[in-house]
Amino acid sequence: MLVEQIVNGVVLGSMYALIAQGYTLVFGVLDKLNFAHGEVFMLGGFICLASIALGASLPIAILVTAIVSGLLGLLVEFVGFRKFRSADAHITAALSSFAIGLVIIDLSQKVWGAEPVALTLPGTLQTATISIAGLKMVVLRLAILAISLLLMLVLYLVVVKTSLGRRIRAVAESPTKAALFGINVTRVNQQVFFIASAMAALAGLALAVRTGYASTDVGFTFGLKALAIMAIGGMGDIRGALIGGLLIGVLEALAFQWGLGQLADVFVWLFMIAILLVRPAGLFGTLVSKEVRA
Amino acid sequence: MVRMGPMTETPVLAVENLQVSYGPINALRGCTLEVRAGETVAVVGANGAGKTTLLRAICNMLPWSGAIRLDGVPTDRSPTHKLARQGVIHLPENRGILTTQTVLENLQLAFDTYPSKRSFGAAVEEAFAHFPRLKERQAQPAGNLSGGEQQMLALARAIISTPKILLLDEPSLGLSPRMVREAYRILRGFKARGMAILLVEQNVHAALRFANRGYVLRQGAIVRQGEADVLAHDTELFNQYLGFT
Ligand SMILES: Nc1ncnc2c1ncn2[C@@H]1O[C@H](COP(=O)(O)OP(=O)(O)OP(=O)(O)O)[C@@H](O)[C@H]1O
Ligand SMILES: [Mg+2]
Repeated sequence: MLVEQIVNGVVLGSMYALIAQGYTLVFGVLDKLNFAHGEVFMLGGFICLASIALGASLPIAILVTAIVSGLLGLLVEFVGFRKFRSADAHITAALSSFAIGLVIIDLSQKVWGAEPVALTLPGTLQTATISIAGLKMVVLRLAILAISLLLMLVLYLVVVKTSLGRRIRAVAESPTKAALFGINVTRVNQQVFFIASAMAALAGLALAVRTGYASTDVGFTFGLKALAIMAIGGMGDIRGALIGGLLIGVLEALAFQWGLGQLADVFVWLFMIAILLVRPAGLFGTLVSKEVRA
Repeated sequence: MVRMGPMTETPVLAVENLQVSYGPINALRGCTLEVRAGETVAVVGANGAGKTTLLRAICNMLPWSGAIRLDGVPTDRSPTHKLARQGVIHLPENRGILTTQTVLENLQLAFDTYPSKRSFGAAVEEAFAHFPRLKERQAQPAGNLSGGEQQMLALARAIISTPKILLLDEPSLGLSPRMVREAYRILRGFKARGMAILLVEQNVHAALRFANRGYVLRQGAIVRQGEADVLAHDTELFNQYLGFT
């Protein structure tokens, strides 16, 4: 059913968007990519799984996942970025965050093994369906969509309307000017890493709960796709990450609908290249540096 | 009015034997100066004399050696943002306003970061009373303002931050003669309220007309100091150290 596939695509897209907003927030303030981000997303599923294995209810597991991952984000900031803030430290920061990602995968595989681990919730939460306008839909998917959109709306309002958001935007514009405004730049970086990591982990949790298992290999595929989505939306723009995520989710769903599921990834990457050829700064971005190196 | 004050009075800002180098370049070679309560002090010097470096060192934006004291207490290389919260407000050469945020957001940020008993509304109304033009443009991104308006916003930000000491880097840079007069008119208002100000300028005449005392900086060293009106009439000084009359 076409409409059903589109809804599925939107649900998938909202998870991509949650991850991509984290990339884009960090990129906005530090001008650097956090290559550990995809693995923080992956670990979200396992933290949820572990919490539930320890007897936590789903709401508690969600809270634990967000907080533990936020703290992990602080560690990533400290180890991978604190010392590498200068503009010429891109490669160093990329390598160190990539290394942190590899460590997260390796440790996860030591603890949970390389095979996917089943994550079944008590009751019918994972299977219950609902009929809306003749369409049968899995309640859980709709809940994931609603919660993801709500999280992103809250993030948007925080960035645009609050004192924290003004500080984040100030650091994004210029850490030097921000410091002269009395803003603790390190603190803002930490806050951004906490928020970004918690959001990514919640996306990982949603994926694990939806598919019924947690897997150590989703960090790479989802992480890479979320990077593409950030570029499509415009680096550093959280609206762009949302729109880009939904677009890619729907595109993939349509590929499956049309029996081209094997080629879904190819579509995503071709779509990214096409968008960037037309709009090099992405849908919502503006290229700051006009200097062309050729 | 020239405040002389008893010599025992603790200066708001005291800089002693300040040295800064950029690799092999010694930009500051042992500067000593002070700003007392309610005093306006100008540091003048030619291009590359080290004026900007001096203000950046005071805010701990670069490595330095020597001693810097605020109200007699060593700053001990406190980070820039902490110094700002203690009231060391530095308006840099590029004016330091956030061009991606609106006029109002800039003022709100200035207000957010300084503990104050007033409400934001009261603080911003006071700022707008000085700068009616900014009130009209409060919802505009600061980057859309003209150079003169941006300077007004920088000064409005300074008012809201209620500085212990205001550090100004070439407030006349890039402004038309009319805007330069306007900027100094506003700064005279700050002076009249007893704000301590340390101003660095290439525009020697404007700076010395404005200040109580002056220092002449040449190749990273203080070569003259004294009452501003005395320095302003020292033609030898102009020929010898500033390279123009
Ligand atoms: N980042 C830097 N790296 C190396 N040298 C620097 C740097 N910044 C300044 N300098 C040098 O230090 C000296 C003092 O520079 P500074 O900017 O403090 O001068 P200034 O008095 O503010 O000049 P101007 O009137 O042109 O603004 C100059 O010789 C300058 O070339
Ligand atoms: Mg200068």
